[in-house]
Amino acid sequence: MPLLLARIDDRFIHGQVTVGWCRKLEPDHIVLCNDEIAADPWQRRVYASSVPPRIRVWVRDRADTAALLGDGPEALPAGEGAVLLTGGPADMLDLARRGVPLPAVNVGGMHIGGGKRELLESVYVDRTDVASLRALLAAGSRLTAQTVPGTRAVEIDRALLDALEETR
Amino acid sequence: MLCGLVVTHGGIGKELVRVVELVLGPVPGLAAMTNSGKSVQDLIDEIRAWTAANCGAPGDGLLLFIDDFGGSCANAAQIAAIGGTPARVLTGINLAMLLDFVTWRDTLGLDELPRRLVEKGRDAITALGPVQEG
Repeated sequence: MPLLLARIDDRFIHGQVTVGWCRKLEPDHIVLCNDEIAADPWQRRVYASSVPPRIRVWVRDRADTAALLGDGPEALPAGEGAVLLTGGPADMLDLARRGVPLPAVNVGGMHIGGGKRELLESVYVDRTDVASLRALLAAGSRLTAQTVPGTRAVEIDRALLDALEETR
Repeated sequence: MLCGLVVTHGGIGKELVRVVELVLGPVPGLAAMTNSGKSVQDLIDEIRAWTAANCGAPGDGLLLFIDDFGGSCANAAQIAAIGGTPARVLTGINLAMLLDFVTWRDTLGLDELPRRLVEKGRDAITALGPVQEG
């Protein structure tokens, strides 16, 4: 099962994903990984209802997401493409640690919130986020900030994270 | 009387509300909110906070107007609509709908008004062509 896009986006399924990325990548599946949403039938329904009908949506917690994206019996069919969404870098890191191969991670939207600082336009982070991004880099993921295809992609590397932390 | 909150991308909602107030004068219990720069959770929290502050009287309900179905505004509104003040979510907001909302919100209830507004909103969408003669 090729992972066409692994994206960190605290809005999960919205226009940038359904219109922007899905038109270009034409995935068969969207996998929304979030423990809280997966445990709430109403939220699951809301997100599942907001994608184009051709695409199958899976709202799963971290353990089940790892199983869907792994190579065991619960994995999505080989030959079908998926877009993976997590709400933050910690969940993405957790999936990497569960063995999901993540050579590239797209950082789509991490919005401003309590105590967060601007790393890039539309990417706001706190210390935990930075630690998770660093761990993803250390695990071999390439991190790129890009909202939708066709816009400028900005590399998130150690130097960028160092520069933010030095100004603290 | 029903409250109204217009939740949209960018400044669409704010302008719609402004134009409605140009036409009808100040409308208490009607406001707009943008999703710009907000996570879904931020938007849910903001909708709930506004509702608690502006829509609290017993018997009141809330209509949430959204620009487009299937985006962060619609997702946040549907999640925020659960629990607390009774609410309905309508997508495809246009000026006709919002004007009609203000006109009828103290007459019709939370179940009748959304039906009327969907009808009015759709009626306002039309292709204007050359007038048929003869």
